[in-house]
Amino acid sequence: MTPSRDDTSTLLRGTLGLLILRTLELQPLHGLAIADRIAQVTRGTFRVPAGSLFPALHRLEQGGWIRGEWTFTGDGRRVKTYSLTAPGRRKLATEQRNWARTVAAMSQVLGS
Amino acid sequence: MPLGYRLWSLYRTLFRRDRVERDLDAELTSFVDELAARNAANGMSPGEARRSALLEAGGVEQVKERVRDARTGVWLEQLLQDARIALRMLARSPGFTAVAVATMALGIGANTAIFSVVDGVLLRPAPFRDIDRLAMVWETDRHSGTTREPASVPDYLDFKARSSSFDAIAGLSAREVSLSLEGTDPVRLAAMGVTGDLFSMVGVTPVAGRGFDAGEEQLGGPDVALISESLWQRAFGRDPNVVGRTLRLDEKPHVVVGVLPDAADFGTLQILGAAAYARGFADRDARAHVEVWLPLRPDPVSYPRDTHGVFMLGRLAPGAALSTAAQESTAIAADLERAYPSNAGRGVFVEPLEEVVFGPVRPPLFVLLGAVGLVLLVASVNVANLLLARGAARRREAAIRSALGASGSRLSRQFLVEGVVLMLIAGAAGGLLALGGVKALVGIAPGDVPRLSMVTLDLRVLGIALAVSIAVGLVFGMVPTLQARRLDLQSTLKGEGPAQASSGRSRRRLRSLLVAGEVAMAVMLVIAAGLLLRSFWELWRVDPGFRAAGTLKAEYQLPPTRYPVSFAAFPDFKEMHAFTAALLREAAALPAVESAAIAGNHPLDPGFTNSFQVVGRESEARNWPEISVRRVTPGYFRTVGLALQDGRLLEERDETREAPVLLLNEAAAERFFPGTASLGAHIRLWGTERTVVGVVANERIHGLVEAAPPCVYLPLAQAPSFNGAGVLLLRTAGRDPLALAPSVRAMVRKVDPELAVFGIEPLSETLSRSVSTRRFTMLVVGLFAFLALALAAIGIHGVLSYGVALRTREIGLRMALGADAAGVVRLVIGEGLVLALAGLALGLAGALALTRVLATLLFGVSPTDPATFAAIALFLLLVAAAASGIPAWRAARIDPVVALRSE
Repeated sequence: MTPSRDDTSTLLRGTLGLLILRTLELQPLHGLAIADRIAQVTRGTFRVPAGSLFPALHRLEQGGWIRGEWTFTGDGRRVKTYSLTAPGRRKLATEQRNWARTVAAMSQVLGS
Repeated sequence: MPLGYRLWSLYRTLFRRDRVERDLDAELTSFVDELAARNAANGMSPGEARRSALLEAGGVEQVKERVRDARTGVWLEQLLQDARIALRMLARSPGFTAVAVATMALGIGANTAIFSVVDGVLLRPAPFRDIDRLAMVWETDRHSGTTREPASVPDYLDFKARSSSFDAIAGLSAREVSLSLEGTDPVRLAAMGVTGDLFSMVGVTPVAGRGFDAGEEQLGGPDVALISESLWQRAFGRDPNVVGRTLRLDEKPHVVVGVLPDAADFGTLQILGAAAYARGFADRDARAHVEVWLPLRPDPVSYPRDTHGVFMLGRLAPGAALSTAAQESTAIAADLERAYPSNAGRGVFVEPLEEVVFGPVRPPLFVLLGAVGLVLLVASVNVANLLLARGAARRREAAIRSALGASGSRLSRQFLVEGVVLMLIAGAAGGLLALGGVKALVGIAPGDVPRLSMVTLDLRVLGIALAVSIAVGLVFGMVPTLQARRLDLQSTLKGEGPAQASSGRSRRRLRSLLVAGEVAMAVMLVIAAGLLLRSFWELWRVDPGFRAAGTLKAEYQLPPTRYPVSFAAFPDFKEMHAFTAALLREAAALPAVESAAIAGNHPLDPGFTNSFQVVGRESEARNWPEISVRRVTPGYFRTVGLALQDGRLLEERDETREAPVLLLNEAAAERFFPGTASLGAHIRLWGTERTVVGVVANERIHGLVEAAPPCVYLPLAQAPSFNGAGVLLLRTAGRDPLALAPSVRAMVRKVDPELAVFGIEPLSETLSRSVSTRRFTMLVVGLFAFLALALAAIGIHGVLSYGVALRTREIGLRMALGADAAGVVRLVIGEGLVLALAGLALGLAGALALTRVLATLLFGVSPTDPATFAAIALFLLLVAAAASGIPAWRAARIDPVVALRSE
């Protein structure tokens, strides 16, 4: 099933933060790269529009879970690159456990 | 989220806004650049790559706005930002802001000021313990119909001994003493003679020393005094060891035994003011403050049963009802009436102290409160109207801002904040106004309003007024939001479509309703003011019987030490007569003085009354009221312009040793000699038979409102005062009688250097003060009515102007089709008059129902006086027509060509 645009945004509301943290766990990335990576990994299920991405990034940064720094891309353009902080790593671990529990519970309910 | 980060973010959000914003901007720019680079890498042309990138990003400004919304502390930041924008928006339309702020500030300020006064005077608990158990026990006189008289000393003692419903009855009487402090002219102080139980009864304890002890209350006890805190300050610099020190009162040293708090004076002025006579300093100085308290020492020998000078204040016994006390007191009075001939016709009237003190000021204060409430309502309606009109004008702005990325909630908040900011400014201005208003009110209020000195700006009241105004701001700040909710961006940006014109029309209907209501309230206020003004006019037209203009009065009291009095010598008090003669001689020598007189009481001092008999008709006297006794020198009639009706006036020949004579006033002649000649009749008064030699016109000695009571005029030479009180009256040729004041002081000093002169003022001022409560109410209600009327006129003008602006095209079309300017003017003014008529109908109905509450404040005019109602209806229509004039003129100047092209 291909979710409509509206579905996408509802879906993202609770999970976008987790997706971003998970994406940044592997390597620091700038905004567009994060969106691209999420789209790529979820095979297009989650296409994150700028209007959702940036508020989420800023919320995470203000929480101290990620940190943004100005860097240069390979071809010399200035971009703001986000990386995971130590509290961010801990947060990700907690959230992953929570997620696993939620998924297990949901599957039990829906699968039975 | 770790707290540290939170605070850091908050700090950055609030104080590093520029940096954060620049950062965000750069980040989004780079995001779009990256997208464009990727699109270009996918083979798009550079231009196409960029355009597609922008599309994909989905509106950079909206993204920014959403990021900002996500920030910590964003609400605070936005609030500040909204407030800043609000201030800027308000500054951009100074006319609107000024009118709105001024309107609400007036409403808030006036309400807070009036309510502070009402609260301070009426609503705060009285400083007395158990004030609800305290009651005045007045004596009444069935013959004269007076209801609030003092008792005689023997009556007082009888009531005290016999009453069981009252567990205590204190005696009070007004005194005045002159105080001589080292090195200054003697001054006159208000004093009260009281029985010692008064203080424990009302719960006042001395702040230093003690009350009177039993020995001091005995006849012939030592000369002692209690003093007020302010006198303590003035005479002794708050010396803690004041007890035992002495004060020279009436030229005799008095030992100070204690100091009473200033609150002890609560109510004395009102009690005396309510009394039929023996009002003492209350007649002379409406702001008198009791400074000296002396033991009353009720002495039945020197104050017999026919001499009334003691006010009785009773405290109900626990469990006793007021009605029981009233019944019992009536029974006691009936016993006394049977037992003593001098008590014929005497009854009693028990009146709660609270009623005595607050009763007279309640109606005017509540009328003011009602009036000022109406003003606040009118003000609010006007501001509501302004905000509605502004809301309409700002739909375009709202549309532009939402196109630029403002979310709906952000926009509503903006408008709300704007309303609140507006009202806060108005509230602050209103607070300042209230501060000045309370001062002004206390300044111009008549002095006999109780507790006036304790009135201060009430912060709670200001708070409430502020809360109300903020509520108004919120409610009407929401209007543009509600309008924006239904906003069609496209059509609003393009201009007014037909849909707008019709929704404008429905909004106009709401505004018209508001304006009609406003007019109605203004009508009620103006009618109230009109009735009060009319009453005042009627009152002012009353002929008091004496001429106040150009007359100066100065009072004094001759101390018995140097001006001895005794029953045996009466009326030949040599020193007193010598003083009178010397003072008159001095006065006659003053060049500006046309005539001079000395009297026992000035024309507006009701003085005292006595029983009397007409020789040969003694039996009738049992049913007669007492008669007011006026003692004057022959010059009195010329000095105050009192006309002779019959016989002759008092003359110089009516000397101390000559045949006793008197004059009657017309009221006495009509009452006691109906249809018979009074001239030549003999009247027995104070054991002396006097011949009636003349009849003079009536003087309204009880003030303009009350008809003159029956009076007799005795030559001062034949009836000097036992207490030495006197008043000098000077008729001057000059315009300003007060210019004589220094000469009067010098004159008295010359005749008796130690004598205090007081109450020097033009008689016209005394007269004007006697109607001060009425004037005060009239002035304030009048001011409010004017305000309300002005606001209503502004309201009519606003609604019509808006209507004309909205219908420019229609009017242009009419004119293009041949309507002339006069027709257009008629159209617009007609609309204004329809508004006014609707408001007028409502207002007249409201006034018919409500002006009854004014009844006690009116004089010579009915609360539904048709002339006043009609005049004000006409006046209001004129004002409405004038208010419609400007928009009508503007409409008439519409150029059809321009109007039709403009859309």
